[in-house]
Amino acid sequence: MRHSRLLVIAAGVCTLAACVPIQAVTSGGEHTDDFGTPVGDQRVRTGGELVMGLSNEPDRLDPTTSTSLYTRYVMNAVCEKLYDMDAGGKVVPQLATALPTTSADGRTVTIPVRTGIEFADGSPFDATAVQTSLQRHLTMKTSQRASEMGPVESITAAGPDNVVIRYKRPFAPITAALADRAGMIMSPVALTARGDNFGDAPVCVGPFKFAKRIPQTSITVTRDPNYYDAAKVHLDTIVYRIMPDANTRAANLRSGDVHVADTISPQDVDALAKDRSLRLLQAGSLGYQGFTINIGNVDGVGKPPKPIDTPLARDARVREALVLTVDRETLVNTVFNNWYEPACSPIPPQSPYASAASNVCQKFDPARSRQLLAEAGVPVPLRVELKVSNTQDELRYAQALQASVAEGGFDLRIVPVEYSTLLDVQKRGDFELLQLGWSGRIDPDSNTTRFLATKAASNVGGYSLGEMDTLLAQASQTNDVKQRAELYGKAVGMLLRDNPIVYTYRRRNLTVHTRQVTGVETYADGVVRLGKAAFVEGQEG
Amino acid sequence: MARYLVNRLWQSALTLVLASVIVFIGVRALPGDPALAMAGEEADPATLAAVRAQLGLDESVVVQYLKFIGNAVTGDFGKSVRTGTPVSELLGATLPVTIQLAIYAMLVALLLGLAAGVVAAVFRGRWPEWTANGFSLFALSVPTFWLGILAVLYLSVQLGWFPASGYVSPFDHPLRGVYYLTLPAVILGLTHAAVVQRQTRSSMVATLTADFVRTARAKGLGRGAVIFRFGLRNSLIVVTTIVGLQLGGLIAGAVVTERIFSLPGIGKLTLDSVFTRDYPVIQAVVLVITAAYIVINLLVDFLYTVIDPRMRVSGRAS
Amino acid sequence: MTAVDPVAAGEPGSEHGSGLGRVRGRVLRKLWQNPMGVVGGVLLLIVLIAGVFAPWLAPYPPTQVHFTTPFQQPFTVGFALGTDDLGRDVLSRVLYGTRASLEVGVLSVLLAVAVGVPLGLLAGYWRWLDAVVSRLADVMLAFPFLILAVGLAAINGGGIGNAAIALGIANIPTMVRVVRAETLRLKESDFVLAAHTMDAGATRILAHHILPNALSAIIVQATVIMPSAVLGEAILSFLGLGIQPPDPSLGIMLSDAQQYLFRTVWPGVFPGVAIAVICLGFNLFGDALRDALDPKAQRVRKGKR
Repeated sequence: MRHSRLLVIAAGVCTLAACVPIQAVTSGGEHTDDFGTPVGDQRVRTGGELVMGLSNEPDRLDPTTSTSLYTRYVMNAVCEKLYDMDAGGKVVPQLATALPTTSADGRTVTIPVRTGIEFADGSPFDATAVQTSLQRHLTMKTSQRASEMGPVESITAAGPDNVVIRYKRPFAPITAALADRAGMIMSPVALTARGDNFGDAPVCVGPFKFAKRIPQTSITVTRDPNYYDAAKVHLDTIVYRIMPDANTRAANLRSGDVHVADTISPQDVDALAKDRSLRLLQAGSLGYQGFTINIGNVDGVGKPPKPIDTPLARDARVREALVLTVDRETLVNTVFNNWYEPACSPIPPQSPYASAASNVCQKFDPARSRQLLAEAGVPVPLRVELKVSNTQDELRYAQALQASVAEGGFDLRIVPVEYSTLLDVQKRGDFELLQLGWSGRIDPDSNTTRFLATKAASNVGGYSLGEMDTLLAQASQTNDVKQRAELYGKAVGMLLRDNPIVYTYRRRNLTVHTRQVTGVETYADGVVRLGKAAFVEGQEG
Repeated sequence: MARYLVNRLWQSALTLVLASVIVFIGVRALPGDPALAMAGEEADPATLAAVRAQLGLDESVVVQYLKFIGNAVTGDFGKSVRTGTPVSELLGATLPVTIQLAIYAMLVALLLGLAAGVVAAVFRGRWPEWTANGFSLFALSVPTFWLGILAVLYLSVQLGWFPASGYVSPFDHPLRGVYYLTLPAVILGLTHAAVVQRQTRSSMVATLTADFVRTARAKGLGRGAVIFRFGLRNSLIVVTTIVGLQLGGLIAGAVVTERIFSLPGIGKLTLDSVFTRDYPVIQAVVLVITAAYIVINLLVDFLYTVIDPRMRVSGRAS
Repeated sequence: MTAVDPVAAGEPGSEHGSGLGRVRGRVLRKLWQNPMGVVGGVLLLIVLIAGVFAPWLAPYPPTQVHFTTPFQQPFTVGFALGTDDLGRDVLSRVLYGTRASLEVGVLSVLLAVAVGVPLGLLAGYWRWLDAVVSRLADVMLAFPFLILAVGLAAINGGGIGNAAIALGIANIPTMVRVVRAETLRLKESDFVLAAHTMDAGATRILAHHILPNALSAIIVQATVIMPSAVLGEAILSFLGLGIQPPDPSLGIMLSDAQQYLFRTVWPGVFPGVAIAVICLGFNLFGDALRDALDPKAQRVRKGKR
């Protein structure tokens, strides 16, 4: 009797106190892209108000001066571009009628554009309007697009349906740039009327037109009857509600208060994917995350690099050792719940410019790392300092990274820095290692040259290699995709040797929408396309 | 009285100017600047310089300050660097949210705090006092933002009793507006309820045990009458002070609540503007919050003289 | 100056005259008699032991990552309170977080005392200084505290010192006001007036007569600052402005836990409880201490009976 009671108590205490066995982690499988499906033949209802939970507040709604990526989410419904990207990552015409033709010397780019269509304010869209917009990107003093436009000599309208850009030297990335903000065409009438304040009430060609903006709260757009493809537009209005907190977006999706939300946290996505009333869209990212090693930035970015006397800056073997200690797979799986992907180079594997050479990846090998450190003659553990933006994901990754590199003989010290300060720090070169990613662009040149070419605007590590400069310049002047892929493959080969930047992982663009709506699409550029979405027949909006 | 008022106003103006100078210089001492913060990952040197020139950042701090003050006097705080929205519009959008939240939270605090305080004072040494005291101790000790997070998880997401977040203007939909603000207001009001409870209790205990009250009781005045005529009225003075001090703090302290419930209030605006180095917004926000604090305290002092005539002689209680 | 201070030596019955030892005995006795004070004291003792001995009590270093065992439930073998997203031991982190909270609390109290007490004494003693100090205190009270915290974090990148400085500065004005009020009151008291007639200098009067008698008010104010600083640290760290990872902090644990709230709530429960226990301890103990030190509160108590 007594014994059995004791046993029961013991069992109870045991279950309560100490005997829960360790739960092993299950490694997640591969994730396949799902870009969403166009409305097509589905039975949909006309009208309704769609609410999207937007993760970041857009800045000015002005294609020329905007720097926030999230501005593109709203502009996508309001401001069509000369080109767009499709699900396959290819550039396709939108306001242009075909891909641009390049002259034999590569310096003249001709873009055929639509005619007979109207801006939201009723003014006609033509080559002159396109020329005005492109010219503004080039000449406006506070333009953020000037460098994306490349070494332009002149922009002219050749008749109503052709725009000709004349270059000082060939510039292949222009097509991709015109599939981003540089390609958004603004109404010349509105530009004349509003000038620098165009962003207060943007007017373009698009399925929707700007209605109102409540700062910090929401942006509303309404259906544009002037839109050339208005038959495919179903919704009356779209409200972009600003919801910076990932938990909040997830909670609102579940409660049905928003129909679509972007940038779902990898921590929430499993729970949401299980919910039958929700659909998960996912696409790989064009950008990368990683950390830069300061090799020669002493006087500030853009200044001639100078030698720095640290083992990391001095000796490529030490850098290679560091890379070998980064257990990319385990890190993304632990920190991002199996949802993000390891990255080893600036060229995403799904990009048309990827090749076997650009997909090569260093394996996690702490033993080899220690061996390299010994060869380089540096004391182990080698103490290195990593400056990190003090946002949660960055910090969590850095803390996991600390554990990973420790195995290979590095003592990583994490120094969290507030984001705006970090930008200042990286510009001045006041760091040894600095963790900061790049959101990515369609053209590989925008993901490489500005970070790797000598004295380039964002080459914060002060990396400088004549061979690399030539290679990247050559690639930017080549129009053939295959040839370019080969050149970038070579560049990645040099990166694997020099390791000026340690590429760590790629995010996935995770978007969730309720099944009340359909026709929501998102591609590798992350932009959620709502212009042609609709409520499913019988669903309230 | 008039001299006292003039004196107070002059002091308030001085406080405001001091605060504006501190923030003006302080914010420029921070690493980074709006142009760089705005450019973010795409930092083109020529564009950065152009943006800085456009913002007038290349002028001397003194010139910048004088321009800012000159415009601020006319109600023009400039435009947000990031979004280009006039700062006055930003304040107009965010300030009402925070004020509504603060007032609602203060009502919750007063309701809970006064009730619990009276209960604790009246039922001294018995279980109602322990319960009331326990409540205020709990509210003072538990991080309320943590309660907020748990409340969102259980009351909103799992049970669906309250909206998880969001803001509806009570001027558009009165009922929905109040409903949306209820959970944040209760969470924010808890700590303040505890403070009100403690003050009410101690001041009521002091009054109820005072000689004149005992005399009144001996003369046959009913218990309820004593509690309300003497106890509560005297407590009001203390509570007014608390409300004044707390309301000022509430506006600044709403940041966390706004963040947890994604309310587009001035707290969030404050944080965002500092993070993006949006100088015009930071300057305006500091001025407005400081001014709000000062005005509320002036009002409180004025209220004293209404509630308690004795205060008129001695001026302000410190 | 004479070697013997006649005022300090004599005057039994004035608050000044009673020997320090006797005061201490009375206070301790009263604390012991107050059940809330005892409970608070016990909680504080637990918290202090946890904080001071964290390096010996914690089963793991607080930042040790276990890639293979994230999100363990509480009461798992080897991880008494479970693990977080990176497989770090929650118990160890709570212990070290408690330590950090105490450090921030103590440092900010020290800062508030070091700056607030002299300012309060001076402002209370000299009227002309009062205007300046009170204006400064006004500005500090009115100035949005968070802006200060963000600014400091931007310059220094956060950390324990940063949180302590921000919270300490935030608490200076109230400390100034408390000490100033005490000084004003004591300035008019008999023994200070007597000291004046004895030709005692201002420094001497402030240091020997006013400060010792204002001590109980200062201590009470310190017990008010302490829990509010602990909560303040949690809030700052939650907003990313206080202690910075990888250093453990209860506030950081809460904000981390919020990120994966949909997966598990446990990593967020324990740090919250720890903060509550620390604050409860200080609040209970502080209340009891106030009752024991404050003759007025005593009168109220007596009056009730």
